[in-house]
Amino acid sequence: MSEATDVAAAASSRDPAVGLAAVASLRALLETLEELQVDNARDQGWSWQQIADVLQVSRQAVHKKYRRHGF
Amino acid sequence: MFERFTKSARAVVIGAQEEARHWHADAVGTEHLLHALLDASDPLVDAVLDGFDIDRDALRYDLDHVERGPRPPLDADALSTLGIDLDTVRRQVEDAFGPGALDRTRAGRGRGARGHIRFDRTTKKVLELTLREALRLRHRDLGPEHILLAMLHRETGAAHDLLTARGVELAAARQAVEELHRLADAS
Repeated sequence: MSEATDVAAAASSRDPAVGLAAVASLRALLETLEELQVDNARDQGWSWQQIADVLQVSRQAVHKKYRRHGF
Repeated sequence: MFERFTKSARAVVIGAQEEARHWHADAVGTEHLLHALLDASDPLVDAVLDGFDIDRDALRYDLDHVERGPRPPLDADALSTLGIDLDTVRRQVEDAFGPGALDRTRAGRGRGARGHIRFDRTTKKVLELTLREALRLRHRDLGPEHILLAMLHRETGAAHDLLTARGVELAAARQAVEELHRLADAS
């Protein structure tokens, strides 16, 4: 991490605007990566159950979330 | 209502939609429209702005301030405060899944990024006033210069505020447009 980001993190860690924006972005990143990985797993022939097991969620949850994506 | 818009005026409207999409905005606001108008570098609009001695870079700076509003879903600045370097993540993901992989996902594109983006109330007002300004000057076609005039009405929000703060004024701008049209017709 650069010096500039260190300073930004140190100076604003208790600023809710900064902290909440970071959480929102982290959630977006998580969702993005999950979508990519689920997509890839389905492409490789994984079942919803297999995907759910590794993600540590229920098969219903992962199926409900991604079936509309068409994969 | 766009039948009488010139090709360049339509390009401004399309540019505004792209600008709104870029900012993940819910709707096209007059700040997006003004941004697109500046980008279009229309000779008539430029001549009018030059008449007011407008510094485009200063105006763009003002615009960027207004437009910061909603952040993109994947915000590199916000992630950097957690020690996450979005560029590194993007590079790793693209190594495995190909160029643009992160931004191709639904989650990465975010809400405002897909489909048609509606015009907000103030932008609708600008488009309506564009027609009225052209009628007033007895111009048949609606060009970018009429969009500029429309933005100088008080009810058009952000664009009006930025332009008038920099000294652009409706009555004088109308005169300038009229004069420039007369010169163009005469030549």
